[in-house]
Amino acid sequence: MKKTFVMKMAVSLIAMSISALPVFAADIDAFRGEKGEIKISGGTAHIPVMKEAAQRIMSKNPGIQISIAGGGSGVGIKQVGEGLVNIGNSGRKPTDSEISRYSLKMYQWAVDGVAPVVNPRNKVKQLSKAQLAEIFAGKVNNWKQLGGVDRKINLYTRDEASGTREVFWEQGLSKGRIAPSANVVISNGAMKSAVSQDPYAIGYVSVGHIDRTVAAVTLDGVTPTIRTVQDGSYPIARGLYSNTKGAPAGLTRKFIDYLYTPSGKAIIKKHGFIPVR
Amino acid sequence: MRALWELLAERFALLSAIASASITLLILLFMAYMGLPAIKNAGFFQLLLSPWYPYAGMYGVLPMIVTTIRLSLLCLAFAIPLSLGCSFLITTIAPRTVAKSLRRMIELMTGIPTVIYGFVGIFLLVPLLREMLESGSGMCILAAAMMLAVMISPTMTLFFCDSFDRIPRSYLNAADALGASPIQKLFYVTLPSARAGMLNGVVLGLGRAVGDTLIALMLAGNSIDMPESMLDSARTLTAHIALVFAADYESPEFSSIFTCGLVLYVFTTMTTLFVRYYGRGEAGRA
Amino acid sequence: MRQRGIEIVVTLFAWLSGLLLLCSILAVLVYLIVKGYSALNLTLIFGEADPWQAILLRERVFDGLFPAIVGTLALVTLSIIWAIPVGVATGIYLSEYAGCFSRKALNLCFDVLSGVPSIVVGLFGFAFTVFLHKHYSSQIKPCLLISSIALSTLVLPYIIRTTQAALEGIPRDIRLTALALGATRFQNIVLVLIPRSLQGIMSGVILSIGRCAEDTAVIMLTGAVASAGIPAGLTSQYEALPFFIYYISSQYTTPEELGMGYGAAIILLIICALLFALAFVARKGLSHATLYRP
Repeated sequence: MKKTFVMKMAVSLIAMSISALPVFAADIDAFRGEKGEIKISGGTAHIPVMKEAAQRIMSKNPGIQISIAGGGSGVGIKQVGEGLVNIGNSGRKPTDSEISRYSLKMYQWAVDGVAPVVNPRNKVKQLSKAQLAEIFAGKVNNWKQLGGVDRKINLYTRDEASGTREVFWEQGLSKGRIAPSANVVISNGAMKSAVSQDPYAIGYVSVGHIDRTVAAVTLDGVTPTIRTVQDGSYPIARGLYSNTKGAPAGLTRKFIDYLYTPSGKAIIKKHGFIPVR
Repeated sequence: MRALWELLAERFALLSAIASASITLLILLFMAYMGLPAIKNAGFFQLLLSPWYPYAGMYGVLPMIVTTIRLSLLCLAFAIPLSLGCSFLITTIAPRTVAKSLRRMIELMTGIPTVIYGFVGIFLLVPLLREMLESGSGMCILAAAMMLAVMISPTMTLFFCDSFDRIPRSYLNAADALGASPIQKLFYVTLPSARAGMLNGVVLGLGRAVGDTLIALMLAGNSIDMPESMLDSARTLTAHIALVFAADYESPEFSSIFTCGLVLYVFTTMTTLFVRYYGRGEAGRA
Repeated sequence: MRQRGIEIVVTLFAWLSGLLLLCSILAVLVYLIVKGYSALNLTLIFGEADPWQAILLRERVFDGLFPAIVGTLALVTLSIIWAIPVGVATGIYLSEYAGCFSRKALNLCFDVLSGVPSIVVGLFGFAFTVFLHKHYSSQIKPCLLISSIALSTLVLPYIIRTTQAALEGIPRDIRLTALALGATRFQNIVLVLIPRSLQGIMSGVILSIGRCAEDTAVIMLTGAVASAGIPAGLTSQYEALPFFIYYISSQYTTPEELGMGYGAAIILLIICALLFALAFVARKGLSHATLYRP
């Protein structure tokens, strides 16, 4: 009895996976025979996903050209609104005034978090929200005040166009002050390289970007991982949006739809984000 | 038929000249035109004198101006002795063959791209400074100034060498006839006569230091604070333009970068004019 | 006695500064080569694509420097195409046709233009694009065309100055000979003066090519992006080598990517060194080629 049950499960699993293959292939098939250009810019957290999706589409379809730029969420929203790009990515929800001014259509395809990070060699890896606010405001400025080495804390923050910065400032610092003496870096990738190179650094980065080169800081007892973001125990979360001016058409529409297909979701998962249903 | 070609050629040359010259003016006009919203809002001089706190509605560029001044002066403090020493070496002190190959090498160095200095600076200089100074992230005005000095020294050295070479032979012969040693000749004849040329070189070096973007962007930290010391992270006018240019077109932040552009343009124009008229005057007198 | 003391100090100072400068620059170069040497192979340039297929544009290159190299080449070629006619014609006008007042005014303009920082030129290009985008056609966006025009503005003063200097350096008797034989001004310029000054003009052109290849500030604001493949046409965005180096230096995600950055820096250095050597050869060799026609 058990044996046949197991056999049935195995067969149905194999059948499902085999039947899924054409679906994976079919996701790319939507682009077959298409020609044209897609210009994407905006949030830097989205870039790895965009790059891989673009690579897959472009390798099967030589007639399609997809160019990807960074710049931050503010840039993405503004450029798509002005018609300079087809898709503008943002790591924060566009404000109502932005939506009405540019007639934006938003498409959220992932959930992500923003986590404070320090260098892996730093002993201080747990902070409370109050301590975090004090560090970024510049009131606590030496690691020894937190139990670490006797060195000045080097603050790293993002530029003004960043959605990651906006989310961290609102939800992580409760709109508190960020000290003006903080070093400014221009993307999630840049934040990662800066913090991984500086043993006395603290910054903040998208949870999906966290890897072995930086150490996530446990905030009020909750470690920021993609799982704690998903189940809600880690509070600083945000959606990853792709925005278009008006309803997307043609190639742009297909690209956005691709992000919701199973292969698109696999890419999103692979890069550490949670795909939206 | 031939006359037609003549006319066409002259007209084409004239047109090109006018087009090229007008670009200079166009740049100025565009800076002013696009910066108009910021200027109307806050008044130009107020913009120059207030700090940059976008969340508090302040879009001034004073910290950037101060940083640019400090960075370029610090850079010149490193570069001028370096270039002077090298030019002494090439023109007077080293033996002929060594001097020739040294000059060749320095000419080659002027071709090294700026981005490479910045790139190596991030990975070599910044950690070094961080460990040596035991404070800060290593990304500070000092790091940028050191790298900038290494970048502009070859050009300044060549400039100094050229102005030393331009001294009339008769002066040098006179010094030799009186029994001066090479170094005495250098100090008492060459340097005073080449004063104008050297000043030109320094001013041009200053112009380059002020206008450089990448080294300041990659090595100076880009914080919005007013720098207190050369170990502070700071943002120059050029780095500010590179960081903020992608903001919303209508926003005051965007217009502020045109204020930066205007300040940079006016400053480099002033250095150019200074070099032209002071250099010409001195040369006339000498 | 004191003279000896001063002389020793000065000599020491001169040798020290020379050594310091050389050592700093050597440190930069050696560091680059040591770190990037292991990354220098065909995968650095072509990623996982077959080199021949990639060069023939039949296969797309991801994770390789080929698009950036092609972008830089296309950019430099276009900029020089815009800059040479305008620059040489202006130089000719300045040395041959201009009157006293216009010569002074034009010289002033070009001196000012040569001093303008590259980021201000890039900002101007960007502002001009935005202006056209809003008031003329929404099809105008930052792209290869706009970048090349902005870049040509940057190098225009070099070409104008070297052309003017080369033309003005021709001795008076050569200048007057053809005219004395009845040639028109235009014929004189085209058949006698230009060939004689070709080496000066060429060295100016090659200097400009080097400047275009290494500039980052202008292209950062006018169309270079992180990932774009081979530029499909004049109105597409593109990748460029110096922009790649800048971008990867702050945003590398794996040590392999950083290695690519070092490799790209070495390639850029090699390109600039080659151009420099070319300028040197051109200065010496071109005079032979133009003057001794069979």
